[in-house]
Amino acid sequence: MTLFERIFGGKKDNSATKAKDRLTIMLAHERADCAVPYLDDLKRDLLKVIKKYTQVRDIQIKSENNQNIDMLEIEIQLDK
Amino acid sequence: MGEVITVTSGKGGVGKSTLSANLAVGLAEAGKRVVAVDFDIGLRNLDMILGLENRIVYDVVDVMEGRCNLSQALINDKRAKNLYFLPASQTSDKNILEREKVAKLLEELKKDFDIIILDSPAGIESGFEHSIFMADRALIVSTPDVSAVRDADRVIGIIDAKSDKAKAGEEVKKHVVINRIKQDMVDKGNMLSVEDVLSILALPLIGIIPEDENIITSTNEGEPIFYHQKSPASNAYRNIAKRVLGEEIPFMDITQKKGFLKRIFG
Repeated sequence: MTLFERIFGGKKDNSATKAKDRLTIMLAHERADCAVPYLDDLKRDLLKVIKKYTQVRDIQIKSENNQNIDMLEIEIQLDK
Repeated sequence: MGEVITVTSGKGGVGKSTLSANLAVGLAEAGKRVVAVDFDIGLRNLDMILGLENRIVYDVVDVMEGRCNLSQALINDKRAKNLYFLPASQTSDKNILEREKVAKLLEELKKDFDIIILDSPAGIESGFEHSIFMADRALIVSTPDVSAVRDADRVIGIIDAKSDKAKAGEEVKKHVVINRIKQDMVDKGNMLSVEDVLSILALPLIGIIPEDENIITSTNEGEPIFYHQKSPASNAYRNIAKRVLGEEIPFMDITQKKGFLKRIFG
């Protein structure tokens, strides 16, 4: 976004931005489905291992993909 | 040995056949021996864009089934003497192609031609698989709208899985062609920009084709727009052909003239 547009709020809520956001979210999902079919198994096994050492409340696994990189983001919430 | 270039998209109607036709003409005009093969079995189209529909006697299935020789089915283009065309068959059975027969045909074409352009059908079914498994490179066409980009992304995701070359550990070159850009809409923020599409598809660009009414008239007449040298799209196709041949051509600036304030702040 150029300075001009930032000042005058030109391109904020236009339809192209919406299209891009919708596509980005949609494709992250679709790619994840193909790229990580083992997601549920992985989650179960991880839980098992982590429980051995500490109390765990939940594990969130997010997968982010584009044509260049596949990334798994694992968030482990511990019980207090 | 010839190079197999597959033109594909996922979604239909985004300009695969128009790109195939004009790229074929462009490469032939650059001195390459080129054959364009219509792989959209049952839904022949490339013949109309090239203006060769009246010259068809045999088609690609006839060749594969041995009902005629390859040379009997190949049609020489009206203007580009280095360009040959192999039409799709009009059979309603689109699953008629067999992998071994496709491979045999393409091997034969690779001996005779420098470049084999395969105009793939829309979709990700067997027709697509047959047009991609021997590909050395793929051009993925998308228009700047959500459904075309989404489908292009799916196709890109499965090219390597379907490609013999990728299975052998080699790289299938993949490039994106963005078709029907309306720059005034992009400027107003009402159309995905080239940058938007590229950042989503995460592949290198090989061509930007502006929306151009001349495409319709040239298709009406069966005269590829490549020859309509003053039209913006013709120039875009010419540049794609050059880039396919390895020339480094800067991407043309199709941005409209910017307003005074934008010029200062942009």
